[in-house]
Amino acid sequence: MSEKYAVDMKNIVKKFFGVTVLENVSLQISRGEIHALIGENGAGKSTLMNILSGIFPYHSYDGEVYVEGKKPKLNSPKDANKEGIVMVHQELALIPELSVAENMFLGNLPMKNGAVDWKKAYRNAEDTLKSLALEMDVHMKVKYLSIGQQQLVEIAKAIMLGGRIMILDEPTAPLTGREINQLFKILRELREQGITIIYISHRLEEIFELTDRVTVMRDGKVIKSLRTRQVSQDELVTYMIGREMKDYYPKEVITPGQMILKIENYSVAHPAYTNKKIVDDVNLEFKSGEIVGIAGLLGAGRTELMSAVIGMYPKKGNGKVTIEGKVVQFKNAGQAIKSGVGYVTEDRKGSGLILRQTICFNSSLAALDRTMKYRCLSRKKETAMVQELADKLNIKTTNIHNKVSSLSGGNQQKVVLAKWIATLPRILILDEPTRGVDVGAKYEIYNIMKELAKAGVCVIMISSELPEIIGMSDRVYVMHEGKIAGQLAKKELSEEQIMKYATGTLTQ
Amino acid sequence: MEEAKKVLVNQKQERPGKKLLRFTKENFVIITFVILFIYSSFASPAFLTINNITTVLLQNSIYAICAIGMLLIVITGGIDLSVGSYICVCVCFTAGFIQDGRGILAIVMVLVLSFLFGSISGVLVAYAKVASFIATLAMTTILRGAAYMYQVGQNRRIDGTFWPTFIQSSILRIPIPVFILIIIMVIAIFILKRTKYGRGIYAIGGNAETARLAGINVKKYLVITYALGGLLFGIAGTILAGRLSMGTATVGDGYELNAIASVVVGGATLSGGVGSVSKTVVGAFLMGILMNIMNLMGIASYPQMILKGIIIVCAVLANRGD
Repeated sequence: MSEKYAVDMKNIVKKFFGVTVLENVSLQISRGEIHALIGENGAGKSTLMNILSGIFPYHSYDGEVYVEGKKPKLNSPKDANKEGIVMVHQELALIPELSVAENMFLGNLPMKNGAVDWKKAYRNAEDTLKSLALEMDVHMKVKYLSIGQQQLVEIAKAIMLGGRIMILDEPTAPLTGREINQLFKILRELREQGITIIYISHRLEEIFELTDRVTVMRDGKVIKSLRTRQVSQDELVTYMIGREMKDYYPKEVITPGQMILKIENYSVAHPAYTNKKIVDDVNLEFKSGEIVGIAGLLGAGRTELMSAVIGMYPKKGNGKVTIEGKVVQFKNAGQAIKSGVGYVTEDRKGSGLILRQTICFNSSLAALDRTMKYRCLSRKKETAMVQELADKLNIKTTNIHNKVSSLSGGNQQKVVLAKWIATLPRILILDEPTRGVDVGAKYEIYNIMKELAKAGVCVIMISSELPEIIGMSDRVYVMHEGKIAGQLAKKELSEEQIMKYATGTLTQ
Repeated sequence: MEEAKKVLVNQKQERPGKKLLRFTKENFVIITFVILFIYSSFASPAFLTINNITTVLLQNSIYAICAIGMLLIVITGGIDLSVGSYICVCVCFTAGFIQDGRGILAIVMVLVLSFLFGSISGVLVAYAKVASFIATLAMTTILRGAAYMYQVGQNRRIDGTFWPTFIQSSILRIPIPVFILIIIMVIAIFILKRTKYGRGIYAIGGNAETARLAGINVKKYLVITYALGGLLFGIAGTILAGRLSMGTATVGDGYELNAIASVVVGGATLSGGVGSVSKTVVGAFLMGILMNIMNLMGIASYPQMILKGIIIVCAVLANRGD
């Protein structure tokens, strides 16, 4: 009976140290469908997929897993590969110094007479890429590919491994518009070829665009499993968070104050090509109490512009930057902090947090001057400061001296915010502030941004998520290839309009 | 709201058993130290005598001072392999400068020099971006060479001068080297816990990029760290010169290994960002007592070397599981 399903998981119970993380979960996925798996962080999606992909061996949980009607004993990812199950991980696992083909064949290179058959390897890699309509040189080192291309190489690798059931964990998180479209095209083609795809994502719009069925998980249980066409976005959000969320974006209107930051004729040289500019002669203005969105595709120069302004980009920017009428030129982040500029980077794990340290350590790191007493650090003052922030930002933990790695993605992001709010910034730059954050925490982060603006902070948000840009911003700059392609006021904002500027079809 | 509460309750419930495990893991070095101490007291009647304990304290306070220097560097995620050469060159310089009749200035000069050597390593690591083990490995041979050139084969006896007399005396019945160790410990604990610099080096070891973006001057802090490390190795060297009452270029072998062993046995990880001064010192004395009891029980020195290596590997493996 379970033969018609590609994957049939029955009554799965999984416990970690006595805590039940999966409670009697059953999941059926038909052959050749794109099946969305959604839920807040900690809902049990990853645990469930780790069981399916063999990362958790079959004896570590209760319940049954059928794959294409058979009941395999999955002891390791390799076992799962043999059954045609391949997981494409959120963190890219390619080796930058190796070529595309070498990466695709990593671990199972074709052999001939005891030596690697490179000819065959390169030919096979080329064929696979061609079958996916991907134009890519298989001899190129992976480090020269964009993150989007790398993601596609991962998928090609999965197909070459003979994957018939593919698990994609947040594949679009690092991608932007065009790349997402290309990915979706490929995924749809794979569906035509009868490949089953399990698609984990936080982005609801994608679920509706791409998937056939959707399963919502919450607190280690499957809440609903239904046809994507039969459900609305609001309903999905309600299933995910277990309560109705009417106002996704805070509606309050704040009147902006004085001009606070002015960037004039600003350019930044390209880090790789000396004759190219990654930011090309841009002019921007920001007022206090204003939330300004900066939209654009990946590589449009948004992050480069802002990080050069605060002096943390490897290349120095040229142009005039004034804060409250005073010309500034920051050489390092310390100077920017002193002038009241904070920067939340897009890479939470890589440059936002020190994962092995505590919540308290991380939160106070950029504002140690505020915790001084008699020119020494005062643990008492520090704890008081961080506790206040943790309460204000609703960081969910039993103790601020717990390790930050024990928190969910959303709460980790709140710790990064706490770190910058602790510096009492007048200008706060947020780069992809809700990447990899669950719906509930997203909403809280939006509220925090509003609160900051209300207190007179100028909030600058770089984001690739259009709904977020539109929902949150009072004003939006759209960048395209290093230039400001357009500026949109709140009432002019629409996804179409932004995309037109971002893709360069329209300029002001 | 309800759900949030449930999560909190869950976290609390898993605590008691885990707490004990964590406590044991965090204080492993202290527990082991106590057990070994008690065992040694029974294993050999010669162990728990004032004479023997004083010897252990004296011998190992030099190692412990080196270990504190190493700890600072390990916290930043680096390593210093030139400890033995610092010891060697500083022993030679101390004796030589005293022979030259420079008095207390001799000690100051040696300490300033070792601080400078350290900053050279630091500049190489921080600004020239040389891997710390390579930079300090180069320093190893440079310093050792300098020591031999300075020494030109002669032993410089400084018996009866002010320095050996001072080092071999005691204050309040505490031998001077132990006294110096205690002072250094207190200062090091203060620096790591109560200054921005201390916070900064933990942050650098944890994630240098995050530290840089939080406004920490990573390069400056790195140079300071290697310089402070050099200074501490220099202090250890001058103390050794005082204990030996002479300068000789034959000393210093194995000091780096001892220091690294104390640091990792004391719970620090070589990838950086973690480590405690008091546990490092306990780690140093743990190794010291272990060697001492083996000596007392008549175990030869070669098996001791093997055991030391095994202990380092075990400690590194045990610390890794974070």
